[in-house]
Amino acid sequence: MTRFAAWFTLCALALAATQARAEQLIVALSAEEVRITSNFTGTSITVFGAIERDAATVSRAEFYDVVVSIKGPPETVVTRRKDRLVGIWLNSESRTFVNIPSFYAVNSSRPLSEVTTPQILKRFQIGADDLVFPVSAGDGAQSAGQDDAFRQAFVRLKQQDGLYRTEAYGVKFPGTEIFQTAVQIPANVPVGRYVVTVYLFRDGAMLASDQSEIRISKMGFEQFTFDLAHNQGLIYGLICVILAVFTGWLAGLIFRRD
Amino acid sequence: MQIYLPIAEMPVNMFIIFGMGGAVGFLSGLFGVGGGFLLTPLLIFSGISPAVAVASTTAQVVASSSSAAITYYRRRMIDMKLAGVLVASGVVGSSIGVGIFSLLRRWGQLDLVIALCYVTFLGLVGGLMLTESIRAMINARKGRPAPLRRPGQHNWAHGLPFKMRFKRSKLYVSVIPIIAIGVGIGILGSLLGIGGGFILVPALIYLLRVPTNIVIGTSLIQMTGTMAVATVLQSTSNHTVDGVLALILMVGGVIGAQFGARVGAHVRGDQLRAMLALLVLGVGIRFFVDLVQTPADLFSLATLAGDTR
Repeated sequence: MTRFAAWFTLCALALAATQARAEQLIVALSAEEVRITSNFTGTSITVFGAIERDAATVSRAEFYDVVVSIKGPPETVVTRRKDRLVGIWLNSESRTFVNIPSFYAVNSSRPLSEVTTPQILKRFQIGADDLVFPVSAGDGAQSAGQDDAFRQAFVRLKQQDGLYRTEAYGVKFPGTEIFQTAVQIPANVPVGRYVVTVYLFRDGAMLASDQSEIRISKMGFEQFTFDLAHNQGLIYGLICVILAVFTGWLAGLIFRRD
Repeated sequence: MQIYLPIAEMPVNMFIIFGMGGAVGFLSGLFGVGGGFLLTPLLIFSGISPAVAVASTTAQVVASSSSAAITYYRRRMIDMKLAGVLVASGVVGSSIGVGIFSLLRRWGQLDLVIALCYVTFLGLVGGLMLTESIRAMINARKGRPAPLRRPGQHNWAHGLPFKMRFKRSKLYVSVIPIIAIGVGIGILGSLLGIGGGFILVPALIYLLRVPTNIVIGTSLIQMTGTMAVATVLQSTSNHTVDGVLALILMVGGVIGAQFGARVGAHVRGDQLRAMLALLVLGVGIRFFVDLVQTPADLFSLATLAGDTR
């Protein structure tokens, strides 16, 4: 149903758009808000889009390439490495990455290396390999290079958690100028604002890009509990204790033997 | 059925968590211990972060120990004055423990210290309990009566100043060892998410010579009080108590405990202690293996609080 509605919006938008540029992107999302409730086990965001050419632009023979990236809210993460000390494994060296996306998904119509040049990937920070990894001031360098062991471990662990993901052939073209892709959002995603960026390429050159936003937020009871725990810790703690004593008392009452 | 935990920020299978609570509750009812030392590791092994596991188990211990404490209170098997001194010093201990907890979390050594403490205390207590219960079993088989505990016997703990009279326990002892025990259990409890009953009960019996019929009720009051304060402190300073997780564990735990207590009434004391000792040792060894074995992944990530959320 949402899919249908999105298609409908898309067609309406396509008709309305009359800007005088060679190629234009029109993008619609299956949802602009994801709500985390008690039965949340992850979801999927579908990104639809159309490539619009004005009448003056001749139809060219090459195929279009589309790259869709979704970036989660930035976070500060410590990556720690364990080392052996007198037979025991303990955390020793660490590196703190600041302002790093908590979630990062890249879907493209072909592998990124075939879509465009490394220079463009680097310039627009497309793909986990080309993200800038700023390091906190105390750790020496300003940002971690691609071959940094901590950076590689960070990306690998994020991938294991399903929070960093790539699909090299994830963007499909149902028509020559219409594309769609689905991005899986796992259940452990952080809440916040997610930025969806769509890039249009042809022949390695970027023709257009479009940015939109998704909000992922906890709803109802989950939101209430989380806010209470973080803003009113004392009240939250007291509620937990009262709940615990009540449960204990109730059990004693139900199972009373004498 | 999957349920999303608002503080742990992950979905878990409700029935698995409920089952864990029930199984640990059964064992705690069987052996007369809080069960925190089993529950926290179980939660950690099932993927919940140590910080949330410890803090949420703290709330669960309040439920299970208060449930049992009410029963002992009805039977008048509690020394309220002794419990009061223990709780007061336990509160001091919990505050220190929660402070250490926050500090270690910032340094990235929380998991290590939790594991080291588990290895040390579980190994020590498990080992002592096992040797004691085996000796008791051998004595019972040979038909020798168990060595009688002479109630008049004093040790070094009785020579200290600041004496206080505890009528219900028929004791006249210094408050120094009582406060020391209370503070120590408070620190351990909030740091490890355990009630500390398996340390407190032997300490009260062997160090202070508290009569055995009073000891369990009194230690339950101490656990309820200390862990209640620890729960509040954990939620004010670390925000890691997951109410939903704790509630599922509580309900499972109190139900399991009732069945455990019924089964426990039919098993001989020394056999029960030997089984508990093996269980305690087993958990300790598991932690030890994890410490010395080369980990599957040398790297780990920790999100620093106070960002976008």
